[in-house]
Amino acid sequence: MERVNSMLLRQPVDRVPLYHFMFGFCARNVGYPIADIYKDPEKSFMAQLWTFEQYGIDGGPDFGYASYGGWEFGADIEFPSSEWEQAPSHGSFAVQSEEDLGRLTLPDVKRAGMLPLALEFSRLQDKFGKPISIVLGGGFTIAGNICPVEKLCRWMIKKPELAHQLLRLATDHILEVVQYWADTFGAARVIPNIWEPLASNDIISPQQFELFVLPYLKQSSQKILGLGVKHIYYHICGEQNLNLPYWAQVPMGNPGIVSFGHQVDLTGAIKYFGDRCIIVGNIDPTVIHNGTPRQVYELCRQCIEQAKYAPRGYMLMSGCEVPPMSPPYNVYMMKKAINDFGWYG
Amino acid sequence: MASKERTQEIFKALYDAVVAYDEKASAELSQTALEEGIEAYDAVMNGLSAGMEKVGQLYASHEYFVPQLLLCADALYAGLEILKPHIKRHEEEAKLKIVLGTVEGDIHDIGKNLVKIMFDAAGWTVYDLGRDVKIERFAEEQERTASDVVALSALMTTSMLAMPTIVKMVKAVNPGVAVMVGGAPLTPEIAKQYGADGYASNAGEAVRETVSVIASMKGTQAK
Repeated sequence: MERVNSMLLRQPVDRVPLYHFMFGFCARNVGYPIADIYKDPEKSFMAQLWTFEQYGIDGGPDFGYASYGGWEFGADIEFPSSEWEQAPSHGSFAVQSEEDLGRLTLPDVKRAGMLPLALEFSRLQDKFGKPISIVLGGGFTIAGNICPVEKLCRWMIKKPELAHQLLRLATDHILEVVQYWADTFGAARVIPNIWEPLASNDIISPQQFELFVLPYLKQSSQKILGLGVKHIYYHICGEQNLNLPYWAQVPMGNPGIVSFGHQVDLTGAIKYFGDRCIIVGNIDPTVIHNGTPRQVYELCRQCIEQAKYAPRGYMLMSGCEVPPMSPPYNVYMMKKAINDFGWYG
Repeated sequence: MASKERTQEIFKALYDAVVAYDEKASAELSQTALEEGIEAYDAVMNGLSAGMEKVGQLYASHEYFVPQLLLCADALYAGLEILKPHIKRHEEEAKLKIVLGTVEGDIHDIGKNLVKIMFDAAGWTVYDLGRDVKIERFAEEQERTASDVVALSALMTTSMLAMPTIVKMVKAVNPGVAVMVGGAPLTPEIAKQYGADGYASNAGEAVRETVSVIASMKGTQAK
């Protein structure tokens, strides 16, 4: 954690820090059901803390999941319960029609969905002297969790005003949540952790990103930084290469923090973000899950050598959540690669 | 009965309607095709399906993205709704059949839905089991429908782990059935490791890959 803090303060660090989104893996590591990492803040916090100590992880812990937004806006959430499930998923959608959208209002951030649990988690972050993070979707991802992504996609072309209406609500919600966290813990201590997987080019075109995602990201970022927040962490998940020129227009703080999926080349990431953001990423989770230790180690070596001297720093991380069933030795390989290649000086 | 030129003109207009995601034109042209005596099956295959095949190419080459593909599919289905009831029974029975679904534990079905569209467009009979499908359902549905192919989708690595069990179940019932897998965490290597017969990296390539796998399996069986 000291290394991450040093990087945020723009001070030198002795080696590349190791950062992770690692939820189900931590639950399994300490013998909890995966669901506990998402619905029991204390177990979640301690499971991550213990596992991070075991694996030498410098960042976190964090509390959240990619389906954020559905539950908060009134739909159901289902926590993982079977051996095949990895993360909470929406059992239904709050918006299925124009009429539903017309009735949709901003949720009470003190009561809605997972936010009371997230607040409890942040109180533990506070108690243990960790950065206060609040994991949220980006506006587009929240919108795609409030209503089915297919519907959002159709509206973007056929009824763009409805897509914008939904994106407006999602963005206002983000701002209200961050305001609440800033009021509770002090803006300077809060690092909003914003994941935007649905805005990837796996779903939308760069032109659609420019029209439907960028304006809301810019606005929410400016307002969040205006509250006194110093750093925003953006997780740019999935195939985002064509979106990078637009992402580069989004203020993320000084420095910002930006992590990438394995689909994004780190050299390109440094070109767009390196002068103002800490670069984080991007070992292919499938390789961590399914590859050999040697493959993981080699990928880590390549990433470290590619990004180690990024102007504002670099942290090694999986391209997305570390798969819960990953072989522990593969996860250890990331630390070993840092030990072998990540030192400065 | 439409002339050869007129028939080709309608096929091309249907193709264009799908590519331009013009739902209204697709429905109107499908009605026109019937009124002018064009075989429904030909209008589907040479107009709507050909258009959707082009859409698949545009999607695979990142000229179209999911929003465009979904609207093209709406245009496809608007035409299919009109033409399908008029397809002759023997043509319907000759169609290849596929069972598909997103595996147990996974609710992410957009990829599977895109694959379904492409198989519908290619004239297959599709049995869509939906999302979070219990592992035993795939083999049961394959047996019930005597389908040629079973296709499994997953976005989550944890859910992906159900695939080898499903492949074994399907093969235990009918070893000749082709099992295809796809989804973000899958790779050709993992597909092979799981015992699947094939893998497609995106919906635009799913039909072509599957046809190729079936041909290859038939070739192997004939030897």
